[in-house]
Order: sequence, then C-alpha cells, then structure tokens
Amino acid sequence: MENINSFISYLVQQGVPLDTVILLLMLPIIVTLIAFFRQVIGIKAFSIYTPAIVTFAFLAIPSLRYGVAIFVSVILVGMLARFILKSLRILYLPRVALTLSIIAFVILILLTFGGSMQRTGLASVSIFPILIMISIVEKFVATQIEKGNKIALILAVETLVISIAGYYLASWSVLIKGVIAYPWLVLLTIPVNIALGKWGGLRLSEYFRFKEVFKNFK
Amino acid sequence: MLEYIKYIKNSRKILGMNARNLHYIRPYNKKRAKRIADEKLLSKRILKKGKIPVPKLIAKIRSVEELNKFDWSSLPSSFALKPNRGYGGGGILVVYGKKKPSRNASRFKMGWYGGLSGNDDENAWIKADGTVVTVDDLKEHILNILDGAFSLSNLPDIAFFEERLTLLKLFKPYTYKGIPDIRVIVFNKIPVMAMLRLPTKESGGKANLQLGGIGVGIDLATGVTTTAVQGKNRIIEYVPGTRMLLSGIKIPYWKDILLLAVKAQEISGMGYLGADIAIDRERGPVFLEINARPGLSIQIANLSGLRERLERIRGLNIKTAERGVRVGRDVFGGEIEEEVEDISGRRVIGTVEKVKLIGKEGKEVEVEAKIDTGAYSSSIDVELAKQLGFEKTVEDFEKIDLSQYQILPENEASIKKDIMEKYKNSIPDLEDVSVIFSSSGSSIRPAIKINFVLDSLMINAKVNITGRVQLNYPMIIGKRNLSKFLIDVSK
Repeated sequence: MENINSFISYLVQQGVPLDTVILLLMLPIIVTLIAFFRQVIGIKAFSIYTPAIVTFAFLAIPSLRYGVAIFVSVILVGMLARFILKSLRILYLPRVALTLSIIAFVILILLTFGGSMQRTGLASVSIFPILIMISIVEKFVATQIEKGNKIALILAVETLVISIAGYYLASWSVLIKGVIAYPWLVLLTIPVNIALGKWGGLRLSEYFRFKEVFKNFK
Repeated sequence: MLEYIKYIKNSRKILGMNARNLHYIRPYNKKRAKRIADEKLLSKRILKKGKIPVPKLIAKIRSVEELNKFDWSSLPSSFALKPNRGYGGGGILVVYGKKKPSRNASRFKMGWYGGLSGNDDENAWIKADGTVVTVDDLKEHILNILDGAFSLSNLPDIAFFEERLTLLKLFKPYTYKGIPDIRVIVFNKIPVMAMLRLPTKESGGKANLQLGGIGVGIDLATGVTTTAVQGKNRIIEYVPGTRMLLSGIKIPYWKDILLLAVKAQEISGMGYLGADIAIDRERGPVFLEINARPGLSIQIANLSGLRERLERIRGLNIKTAERGVRVGRDVFGGEIEEEVEDISGRRVIGTVEKVKLIGKEGKEVEVEAKIDTGAYSSSIDVELAKQLGFEKTVEDFEKIDLSQYQILPENEASIKKDIMEKYKNSIPDLEDVSVIFSSSGSSIRPAIKINFVLDSLMINAKVNITGRVQLNYPMIIGKRNLSKFLIDVSK
C-alpha cells in the first residue's frame, strides 16, 4: 500500500488485521449512508442495524451474487414458513425458532447444491455472514405480524437495495484508499449526520406521495 | 427551471415526515403526554375524567392467568377487542353479533368431551366479513396481544374489550362494514385540518388509509366533505363501485366534534395531535383515541398542505377551546356559505338539486330536479308519478275528454271548478287541476299532493303531473315551493 496513515500502520504492526481497521472505519460511513437513505430519499428498510449488518455480511462473502442469493432465499423461506406455521397456532418465540430452523435446513441444501454444481464460491461461504442473514428473519417475521406481508416484503427489498448500495460504497477502492490514508476524514460523518438530523425538508419519496397535492397548488 | 423552483416553493407548504417529527412532535409532545396517547386505557380514563364521551370499557385482561379465568359468557353480542398499546389500527378485532349455537355440533362435542368444553362452544361471534370467531380464536388473539405482538416496540401488553359503536344512518351507504371516524389535527388549541375516514372492502372494514380505506377532506368551516383519496394516493369522486358522491356530505355535530378534539388536546397536554372521533347513532360524537403521531395522508384527502397552515397559527395565544374552534373555522374554512344561511335563515341551493320524493305507501324515488324560478308551481313527469304510485290518477285523468274546454285565461276558474266538481270523488288523489298557458301550447293538468325532501328539508307540495319525457329533468321545482331557499346559480 502506497499511502498509509501512521496511526493505521501502528495498529497493523500491533497485530490488528488491516481488514478489521478498514471495516471499523467504514461503519460510520455506511450508517450515514443508511441515515441519508431514510431522511432524504425516504427508503425505510428495517431500521438501521439490519441494513448495516447485511452490508457487512455481503462484504464478507466472496461474491455479491451469493450474498444476494442467500438473502433472497432467507426472506422467501421466511414468508413460506409463516404460511405453514400459521395453521399450527403457536406463540411468537417458538414460531420464530421453527422458522429459523427451517431456514438453516434450506441454507444447508443450498450449500450442498452449490458444492455439487462445483460452485466453490457458494459452498465455501463462511458461517458468520450466513448466521447474520438468518438472524434478520426475526426482524422480518416481527414486521410480518405487525404490519402484514406486503409491508414486510417492501421493507426487505428496501433493505436489500440499501445493503447493495452500502456494499458498493464500502468496496470502492478510492474510498478504501482514502480512509487508509486519511482516517480522520471519517469524522466528517458527524456534521453530516447532525445536518441530516436537523433537516426538515420533504423526502424524495414524499414528492411522489403528495403529487396530487402538488397538482392542486397550481 | 421555473417549474422546478415552483416545486421547491410548494414543497414548503406540505408537511413531510421529517418536519413533522422534528418541528411538531418532538418539541410539542412531551413524554408523559405521549404515554397517554400510546396507552389507550390510560387515555380513556383521562378523557373520561375530562367529561369527554368515550366508548365504554367492558373488561380488561392483563395476564394469562386472567385470560384463563375469564368468563366468556359475560361478553355482549358485539364488542371490539383491542391492544392497550396498539398502533396504526393493528390488532383490533371487532365482532358484530353472537353466532347462534348450532345444536347438532354442540351435542356432538358434548358426547366426546363429556360437556367439559360445552360452555365455550356456545360462545361464538361473527366478524364484519362473516367469519366466525370462537373463544379459541379470541384466546389466541389475546395471547398475542399479551405477548406484545401489536404493541409499540413489542412490549408485553394488556388486552381490553370495549363497547362497539353503532353506525350512523347517514354514513351507511358510504361504509363497508366498520365504523367511519373523523380525524382532526389540532395544534395550539386550533383545529387545523380534518378528514372523514371510511372503511372499505380493501381495508377489511377498518377506517385506515394505509390499509386501503377512504379519506375524505372536510371543509373546517362548514363540516362539508370536499375531495377524497383512497389508499395511498388515488383520488376518487365516488364510493368505489357505486354512484355515491363523496363530496358534499354534511357531517352532523360538526362544531361539537371540533370542540371535543380541542378539549382532548388541552386534557392530554400534547401540543400537536390527531383526534379520532366517531359518531354513534345513539350517543352522538364519541372520542375514539388520541394520536401522538398523526399520519400525513390527511393532506392528500384535503388536497392541501398542513405545514403552511401550522405555520400560520404558531404562537397564537388561544385562551379557550371555543375560541380555538372559531379561529380554526375562520382561518382554514373554505366557504362562507353557512354564514349566509345563518344570517338569512334560508338554505343555499344550486339550479339542479337531488330531490327525494315520497310517494304512496312510502315509495321513495330520488331524482335530479331543476330549480326553476320562472315557474310558479312544481311539476313532475308522468312516468315518475306512476313510479310513485299515482298510476290510477294519471290513467283516469287521461280518460277525461278535455276538448270540450276552451283554454283561455278568462276560462281558467270555470274549467277548474267544472273538472273538480265532476271528478274530485272518482279520481283518487286528485288534489287540483292546473291550467297552464304557455307558448308551446296550453294544457290542463292534474295536480296531486306529495312530500319531497330538498337539501334535507321536507316540503309538502302540490305538484302538476305532465309529460316531461323530452325534457332533461323529471321534475321542476317552482317558486311556490322555494320560499325557504336561496339559489346560487354558480353551484
């Protein structure tokens, strides 16, 4: 690496993996991006934690394709499981436990399939990103119960969109080089978030939502 | 470019999610006050103390233990089951009547279970969509409520039963199942915007816009509905699938509703709130709930911006609820028609109005009538008269040989006298005879007595029966029956 900040090189010499340092520095940038999506564009997703953690899961999987494939199958199975388990009439936690178990089996099948198709990339995905994705199901199921299937699905798609955007941002080589060379730049997210938190303008999505009102203003 | 600047300018009139949270909810709604809004049982108690009518509480279930001990036969035939901390209409279950126990089924079960569950089996209710709700269904639903499945941030919750309100007749044709309610946004003791929320088939009988309900904007001054939206942003004019116009509905008890909304704001201590008020057939306006985070779709229903309105009244010093209601109606009301009506004591109508005629044996027919100040008396078409049950009158009158009369102004009195003397007793319902002189041909017509409703006023009138088939309106209303009205030709 050509241009490394002295603080970072000190950390690396002390045995902290460079990847860990980069990911920690990326975290404020990714969550700021998520806040921006919510406040300015109007994409909600499942709050802030879920899209952030899914972004990191994507970064930890060798190819974005596989990450998206796992995400989509987790959500689909989560929806299917709801239909199957509905007739059982059981309480919330056992129901989520059953859903998670079903998903674990499905992922296992997916990995077997990946292995047999010689897709070593899919077969060799490490366990932690998979666990992260499985755990978002709780959020999904809770939303399903509270707000219904449709809204849960919309929020899941929004989460996917934000996570993919986060993935591309955090794996953008210019940005990576930037934070390695000038880690203090990350502090800029503080004023950005304060500005976002004090911004009272219409969100982009609200221009569409209120389009009939705009028409009426003339 | 200019278009773009206009857009930005107009966007300041609309209240978005960011501005609502940042400028109104955060600074004006204190934590304690928000707790009142979030907990329905608490707000019920506080509102009741403040002399605001609320739906009666039937029973509370606070724990699984209480659920197991609950006496299901103590429930009335209709009720609403709600989560204490629910939001957005989630978790509310409404039943409309008790299901009659089917004898065969219960005897069959008695055989199997030795009568142990007999009591529960006899208790079953029917939901708006016709599905049956058994005690088991209720138990499961209540367990979910206790578990916090419908509460804000999934905290354990309390379930409660309350009285189900009855539907006002006026709203019946506009409503699918459920009960419509009126949402009033109140800020700084002033009602700012209001809408009528109608449950639809899509919304499953719930008056919730997000679920596909209808929101109808209301003119604050008069309480008359204006524009309407269904679901997120579909502007509609009629109730879907019908020809029921959504504009022009006059909400009864309008001033009382606004007063209740403002009083609830005073009691709750919240600066910015949404008040949900329903109208019960017997009790009149009943306060449903306080909303600390009222939705923004009310702006689409009214095709108007909230932010602009809120900024106009920020900082005004309003002493009493009555004054606040007056300011809100004066500042944000669109029309002054009611004032004219108040001053003159007469109603303002247009040149074409819907009229409901009440015929024989209670037959009712609704038609569009032309308001014609050029005519002295009112008249209806022959076909319409037949529909109303006056076939005999029409037919018998047609049999009279009218050629013997010379229709001239000087003969009018004698013609009338002659016909009435001859036929008054033989032709049913013949009230009078009119002799009409007009450029298109003079004629002699039978007249009958009939009641009709114009702009909610019942009028008893003598009307002529004529052949109006070729004309646009099956009825004209003449001067003689218009003394209680003023006519606005632009309407």
